[in-house]
Amino acid sequence: MDHRLYFVLGDLLANTLVGALIGALAELIVSTSWNMNVAMLVLMALGMLIAGILSLLIGALLGAMEVMVPVMLTGMVSGMVVGMWAAMAPLSGTSAALIGAVCGFVSVVGVWIVNNAVRGVTLFESPSEPHG
Amino acid sequence: MVDTATQKKWDKAAPLFDLMAGAGAEKRWEPFKRALFSKMDGRVLFLALGTGLDIAVFPPGQNITAIDISPKMLEVAVARIDAYPGDLRAEVMDVHEMTFEDDSFDQIFTSCTFCSVPNPIAGLQSLKRVLRPGGDMYMFEHTGSRYYPFKVMMHLMTYATRKIGPDMNRTTVANVRAAGFDVLEVNNLFLDVVKTIHAR
Repeated sequence: MDHRLYFVLGDLLANTLVGALIGALAELIVSTSWNMNVAMLVLMALGMLIAGILSLLIGALLGAMEVMVPVMLTGMVSGMVVGMWAAMAPLSGTSAALIGAVCGFVSVVGVWIVNNAVRGVTLFESPSEPHG
Repeated sequence: MVDTATQKKWDKAAPLFDLMAGAGAEKRWEPFKRALFSKMDGRVLFLALGTGLDIAVFPPGQNITAIDISPKMLEVAVARIDAYPGDLRAEVMDVHEMTFEDDSFDQIFTSCTFCSVPNPIAGLQSLKRVLRPGGDMYMFEHTGSRYYPFKVMMHLMTYATRKIGPDMNRTTVANVRAAGFDVLEVNNLFLDVVKTIHAR
């Protein structure tokens, strides 16, 4: 993760807000008459799509890929979780936004953990060694 | 012959490019770019200069030839080029059709370039031609990811961004190798998506 406070707080805020927004939106769209699996898949895709668009706007302040990747993940997870939840039981808008915000928080922390494992220098003694 | 489709795409993006790419991304990437560009030495080819946002982190006093396919981008860059304390020349040129002689440069630097070059392997082969034998290429690039679900997300995002800007799912390290370079170092800066590459 980026250790500069501006980006740490910015990433946290962006993802919790996007998560809350997608969560609230999922609650508006999905009702208990929906099939749980359909709700999960539809809201996962929709959440990722909306979050992808929002990431372009947030990116003007916080960066490019470092914003797009976690925010899209947040949209996907938040849409999936709240969509599935709202299909199973009635959910208030506030609860949906709160669950979405938690999804956003978990997603960005998850990305930070993976990033800490993946980032860093790889030296190639054999130049033909494969790498992405 | 210049790739006019790519040229038009970036000409169109030029007026708003600084707004979209300037504040956030440049602030995030500034320390990494500064460290990479501090390696500049000798006859340097830089591509693609764009609106010149990277000039702020060029070390002073260098001898740099910069190219970009978009004349509109370079128009925006003029003030930054003029303010650079060194020898910086910018030309409108397509990386696939470079007019430089073989072995013209000691080093090549790229900055978020090969997400947009339509035929990346051919473009990289052109760079190999103008780089002197044993010369270094340093790249700051974003690529696709090998890891799920990021891999899928980068593919999906590419459908949205390709028409107006870069691809998000390039395999640039593999392309560098396919063009005949030896990759010496890859430094992942954010996941395996934003990275620097040192090749020779």
